[in-house]
Amino acid sequence: MTTDEGIVYDRSLLGVETDIGTFELTREMLLGFAKSTGETNPRYVGDENGEGDIVAPSTICNVFVSGVSRPDIKLEFGEISFFAGQSIECKAEIRPGDVLSASTKLDNVYAKTGRSGKMVFAVWETHFKNQDDTTVALVTESFVRRNKSR
Amino acid sequence: MSKNLYFEDVDIGDEIGPITRSVSDDDVIQFVSIREKKVAPSRFTSKEFANSEGLPEAIVPGPMNIALMSQVLTDWSETVCLLKIDVVFRQTVPHNKELTFSGIVTDKDETGESTKIECDVVMENSDGVKLVIGTGIIALPNKP
Repeated sequence: MTTDEGIVYDRSLLGVETDIGTFELTREMLLGFAKSTGETNPRYVGDENGEGDIVAPSTICNVFVSGVSRPDIKLEFGEISFFAGQSIECKAEIRPGDVLSASTKLDNVYAKTGRSGKMVFAVWETHFKNQDDTTVALVTESFVRRNKSR
Repeated sequence: MSKNLYFEDVDIGDEIGPITRSVSDDDVIQFVSIREKKVAPSRFTSKEFANSEGLPEAIVPGPMNIALMSQVLTDWSETVCLLKIDVVFRQTVPHNKELTFSGIVTDKDETGESTKIECDVVMENSDGVKLVIGTGIIALPNKP
């Protein structure tokens, strides 16, 4: 069963869009992302010399939502926070030189009780647009807070 | 990687992958440094920091895991277009350990309105424990 009953947090933040910045995607950045994840697809890494036309793997938007400073929802629960899950909808190609702007909003907060006890999930949606105002990706992230194992 | 996989070639139950690899400490630092010019110690880059948070070792960042999970789909064929991937982190993912990524086709749009295919994807450790599970939606071109 999931519920947000009894969870103490700043409910005024629900649905409120917050800009989290603009991000210029260089070719070097795209190739670094591809290398770190062991990517070999020429679509993302170019030819054997790293030359040629490339696009970014859509999951590169993760890099920019990771560790971003979001409004404090003042959740009064738990001692430790984990990244619980994520979805990415890929809407358009991302290319070197693109400048992405992102905004995020708190979409949902709910609790679940499992074998390890109560956990509270906070779900954020982040919307990425390019310099032409075209949506390129929609990222939904779920964070869980729980108490430390004793 | 298959060069030319078409919508008509795929059936429900088709297996994707597997791909086996590990993620090194350097891979994680390179990933983190795309965003952070100076990589600070964190649960992702420092065993000591991870220990202070009750973790036995440094772990692979969640966003890096989703990038790795998506590769099992995009590496299937050059013709794959990834539309959506949704993952759930079941357990933390350690550095420097063998990981196996695989997928299976679970649904196919037979209405003729799209060429979308749904898949389950999973990352397992060498004991077969599922660390990250997920679903993906891809599109493939129709056979010419």
